[in-house]
Amino acid sequence: MGISDEKVVAVIMVGGPTKGTRFRPLSLNIPKPLFPLAGQPMVHHPISACKRIPNLAQIYLVGFYEEREFAMYVSSISTELRVPVRYLREDKPHGSAGGLYNFRDLIMEDNPSHIFLLNCDVCCSFPLPEMLEAHKRYGGMGTILVIKVSAESASEFGELVADPVTNELLHYTEKPETFVSDRINCGVYVFTPDIFTAIQGVSSQRKDRANLRRLSSFEALQSATRNPPSDFVRLDQDILTPFAGKKKLYTYETMDFWEQIKTPGKSLKCSGLYLAQFRFTSPNLLASGDGTKSATIIGDVNIHPSAKVHPSAKIGPNVSISANARIGAGVRLISCIILDGVEIMENAVVFHAIVGWKSSIGKWSRVQAEGDHKAKLGITILGEAVTVEDEVVVTNSIVLPHKTLNVSVQDEILL
Amino acid sequence: MKALILVGGFGTRLRPLTLSVPKPLVEFANKPMILHQIEALKAVGVTEVVLAINYQPEVMLNFLKEFETKLGITITCSQETEPLGTAGPLALARDKLVDESGEPFFVLNSDVISEYPFKEMIEFHKAHGGEASIMVTKVDEPSKYGVVVMEESTGQVDKFVEKPKLFVGNKINAGIYLLNPSVLDRIELRPTSIEKEVFPKIAAEKKLYAMVLPGFWMDIGQPRDYITGLRLYLDSLRKKASPKLATGPNVVGNVLVHETAKIGEGCLIGPDVAIGPGCVVESGVRLSRCTVMRGVRIKKHACISSSIIGWHSTVGQWARVENMTILGEDVHVCDEIYSNGGVVLPHKEIKSSILKPEIVM
Repeated sequence: MGISDEKVVAVIMVGGPTKGTRFRPLSLNIPKPLFPLAGQPMVHHPISACKRIPNLAQIYLVGFYEEREFAMYVSSISTELRVPVRYLREDKPHGSAGGLYNFRDLIMEDNPSHIFLLNCDVCCSFPLPEMLEAHKRYGGMGTILVIKVSAESASEFGELVADPVTNELLHYTEKPETFVSDRINCGVYVFTPDIFTAIQGVSSQRKDRANLRRLSSFEALQSATRNPPSDFVRLDQDILTPFAGKKKLYTYETMDFWEQIKTPGKSLKCSGLYLAQFRFTSPNLLASGDGTKSATIIGDVNIHPSAKVHPSAKIGPNVSISANARIGAGVRLISCIILDGVEIMENAVVFHAIVGWKSSIGKWSRVQAEGDHKAKLGITILGEAVTVEDEVVVTNSIVLPHKTLNVSVQDEILL
Repeated sequence: MKALILVGGFGTRLRPLTLSVPKPLVEFANKPMILHQIEALKAVGVTEVVLAINYQPEVMLNFLKEFETKLGITITCSQETEPLGTAGPLALARDKLVDESGEPFFVLNSDVISEYPFKEMIEFHKAHGGEASIMVTKVDEPSKYGVVVMEESTGQVDKFVEKPKLFVGNKINAGIYLLNPSVLDRIELRPTSIEKEVFPKIAAEKKLYAMVLPGFWMDIGQPRDYITGLRLYLDSLRKKASPKLATGPNVVGNVLVHETAKIGEGCLIGPDVAIGPGCVVESGVRLSRCTVMRGVRIKKHACISSSIIGWHSTVGQWARVENMTILGEDVHVCDEIYSNGGVVLPHKEIKSSILKPEIVM
C-alpha cells in the first residue's frame, strides 16, 4: 500500500453516566460529551478537528452511555462532516486503553496505519495533522500531545519528561505528589496498530498475576479484589509509564490553549476558548451587530439561528446562545452559556453563568457569579427549567432543575 | 411663637451623606429634612426658629437665608462650644426663646419625621394647663427606647423608664415638646438631659402631659430608618391624596418625581421612591424603595432598590444597586456592577462589584 493510501481512524473516549459527576447538575439532563461549548456539543470539537486528518476513514466514539443517547447526534454529524461516525458502547468501563483494545477488531477493520485516541473532555486546538507528521518522523509506537503548564498546577495531571532533542518520552507519572515536570499529558494520542500488542501484553500479564494469587492465599485474595480486572487497562499508568524511555513513545508539544473540562465552571471557560478559536477557523459562526438592526455584540459570541435576540440587548464577550432562546429588550449577557429554549426577560443581566434548558429569567433580575472557573460556586449554574422571578438576584449559586426562585440567593446550592 | 430645633453634631449615623452636607440639609422626600419641620412650624404661627447646633452653623445659615424671606420666618443659630446634651442647648438659647409674651415654645429633635400635628399639640397644651407637653408614639418594641408611663385618659406623665426589660407601656418619647418658659428655670447651663433630668422632675410635680402622636413617626437619623421613613411619609401623602405623588403607567405605589427630573421609556418606578431635581433616569430602569438625590444620572437598564443615591452620582448601565447601598456625593458606579449593601464615601468610582455589605472608603 502506498503512503497516499494510508488510512487513519480516530477513537474518541466519551466516558459514561457514572463518570463526570463533577459536571452536575448539567449532566443530569444530557451526557456530558453532548453539552454545548461555543454552541456545539463538547465532542463536536475533537470530531471536527479529526476531519482535518488526511485519509481519515472512520471516527469511533467509545463509551458506556446508552446507544440511544448518541444515536441522533452520531447520524447528524456523519452527514454533516461526510465522515462515518459510529458509537461503540462498552458493557462496562475498561479504562482508556482497555476500551480501545475491546474494539480492536472494528477499529482495525479498515486496516488503518494510524489510530488517534482523544479524550472528549479536553479542550484544545487539536493539532492532529501536525501531530501525525511528527509521529511519522519519530517512527515510534505512539506520540502524545503535551503542553507546558505552571509548576503549581502540573500535579493535577500526568507529568512527563521528554528528550529535548528527540522528543522521546523519557519518564511518565500520573498526578505525582512531588514535582516531576511542568510538561503534562493532554490526553490526545496517535498510535500505530502496535499499541494493541502493548495493551494485550499488560492485560495478559495481569491475568497471570491474578491467577497466581487466586491459587495462593486468602490474603492475596483480598488484595485481588482491589486490583483492576485484567481487561481494565489505563493508558497512563499501564502503558505510558512502563513504555517511557524505551524509544516507543514520543511527544508533540502544543503552544496553543489546553484545558480539562471536568466542571461546569471549566466548560464556560472552554466555551470561550472555542469561540476565540472560531475567529480563525469558523468566523461565520460568530455573531456581529451594533444595536441598530440586531443586538450589540461585544467580542466572541455565538447565537443559534433560531434564537431571538432583541436589538436593544447587548451580548458578549464569551456568550453562546442555543436554539430557540428568547432574549428580551435591554438584556445584558456577559460570559455565559444560554441553553435551548431559555427565556430572558427585559433588562435582566446574566454574568458568569450557565442558564439551563427552558429556564426563565424575569425582568430586572440578575444571575451572576464572580467568574472564578476553579471555585465550586465561581460560576452560577441554573439547571433545567429553573424560574428566576422578576428583580431576583442569584449570585455564586448552583440551582438544581425545576426550582423557582422568588427571593435573592447568594453562595448557595439549591437542591 | 418660637421654636428650638435640636440639630446637634456631625450626624455620623447618616454618613456618608453627612460628609457632604449637614444632616438637617440632607433632603428627605426632595426637601431638606429641617425644612419639613420649619414649614410645619410656620404653618401654626411660629415666627422665629432657633437652631441649636455645634457644627457648621455658617453652612446652615447661608442655606436657610433664602427660606427666611420665602417663608417669612426668622432663623437663628445658637452654637454650642461643647456638647450640652438635650437640655443644655435650651439654657444656652434662653434669651432667644423668652420674650414678654410668655407663650410656650416648641422643641424638636431634628431627626424626627412625622405629620407634625403642632396645632393639636397647642390645643392639648392649653387644655391641660400644665407646664410641659410631650408627644409620644406607639412602638412595637418599647424595650429599645425610653418608655413614657402615663395616665391614659388625661395624658399626665407618671414616669420615664429607659429601655425597660419588663413591659411598662408602649409609648415612647417622640422628641417633640411644647414647653412653658418656666421650664427654662429648671435647666442649668451645663451638659444635661431633658429626658433624664428635666422631665422626671416636672412629671413628679404632675405638670407634664403626653399626647399620643396621630399618624406616623420615624427617627430618620440612619439610612435604614430613612428609607422606612420615606415609605411612611409617602403613605401619609397618599392618605391626604396629595397631588405631589406621581401618576402614570410606569409608576407603582407612592412615588415623588421632581418636576425637573427626566424619566425614560420602559422604566418601572416605585413603590416608595423619591427622585430629586435635575435627575436623569434613562430607559429601562427599575427603581423601588429608594431615594435619588439631586443631579443623579441612572443609566439604561439599571436596577436600584432599598438604597440612597447621593447627589450628582451616576449608576451605570445594567448596574444593580440594592440592600441598603448608600452612595455618597459624586459616586460613580460603573456599567454592569453589582452593589449589595455597599456604603460608599463621596467622590469614588466603583469598578468592581460589592457582593456583601461593606464600606468603601
